[in-house]
Amino acid sequence: MTTAFYKSLTLVAALALPVSAFADHSNEGPDHHAMSGMQHGDHEHAHQHEDAGHDGHGEHEGHDHGAMNMAATITRTDDVAAALAAGGAPVVVDVLGVVCDFCATAMNKIFGKRDEVTAVYVDLDKKTLSLVIGEGEALTDKQIEKLAKKAGYRIAAIRRDSEALGG
Amino acid sequence: MKIRLASLLLGFAAITVSSCALARPVSYAGGWTLIEISNRASSAALLHYTPAYNYSVGARYEWMRGADIRMQVIQPTYLAKRLFGKDYQANLYLTGGIGRAERTRGQSSITETASFAGVMADWETRSLFASYEMRAADLGRLGNQTMHAARVGWAPYEGDTGDLHTWLMVEVDRREHLEEATTVTPLIRFFKGPALLEVGYNLSDSKPLLNFTYRL
Repeated sequence: MTTAFYKSLTLVAALALPVSAFADHSNEGPDHHAMSGMQHGDHEHAHQHEDAGHDGHGEHEGHDHGAMNMAATITRTDDVAAALAAGGAPVVVDVLGVVCDFCATAMNKIFGKRDEVTAVYVDLDKKTLSLVIGEGEALTDKQIEKLAKKAGYRIAAIRRDSEALGG
Repeated sequence: MKIRLASLLLGFAAITVSSCALARPVSYAGGWTLIEISNRASSAALLHYTPAYNYSVGARYEWMRGADIRMQVIQPTYLAKRLFGKDYQANLYLTGGIGRAERTRGQSSITETASFAGVMADWETRSLFASYEMRAADLGRLGNQTMHAARVGWAPYEGDTGDLHTWLMVEVDRREHLEEATTVTPLIRFFKGPALLEVGYNLSDSKPLLNFTYRL
């Protein structure tokens, strides 16, 4: 048993060392490009395979130069429809790695706390985050990206206004 | 770099003989999570807080039923890596714990410093799941314990947000300090909103599995 114990400890140590080499460099800023300075259409140049915390293009494979979800539009829940009817601005965010309700809970909590956001909904089928920004309020792409990161996720594209509504 | 990570994950698979992977041991920034675990070897409760998206700190109480050892530790967990894809998410966590363990038998009681180190890895789509977990614990005079656990799962349907999600899973675990070292546990996972419930039965050891996670 003792031998197995120390073998296991050795395994943990062996894992920890190489892991540190690709640990998440979350404070190094957004990957690839600063979204806040881009036109929304630029975000359609999305990366389909993201490796959290690495900034070099050389580290990525399988870039998809099309829209992630064929430009999924906002999901109209009752809350979203009401917020839009009240004059809010629609935003659709393609999110990578959204596979379960815990993902949805995380983003609902993080974005739901923001005063600017009057409605939020995570759609697992579309893999999107639908937001409605209150009239007269603003939430930049950069802010959205940072909030998604706080929730533990990575965004691939952001669409607003008519693009978010699908025309 | 990706090759390196893939090699690591393959390495996990190669050495794996068992599991009980925690459901997302790191939450969103500012989130609290309550995890209850009860399997053939122990019953445990972990309450953790996530200050930032890549680490959590929690308090864990665990009763190792066979040896009647009760352990209380502070447990930090670090999200070493999260890989994102359009349809999947993969995570690599490092965890540890430091605290005390106690065994009382009649009038005599032994208290020791307890520590453990562990690694957890998972890969998940909306319909497929695989995980591996390893923990090595040093309980002083109360003994050392190692645990390996691996799990695969399949969801027969893909529920949308807020739906009841159902997973069919099989877990294989290896605990060398137990008489029945390697065992198999089929289980079913129910997942809805912030709550996750797992119910299973260990075929080799004839003991139930009941895990619950709630994310605040």
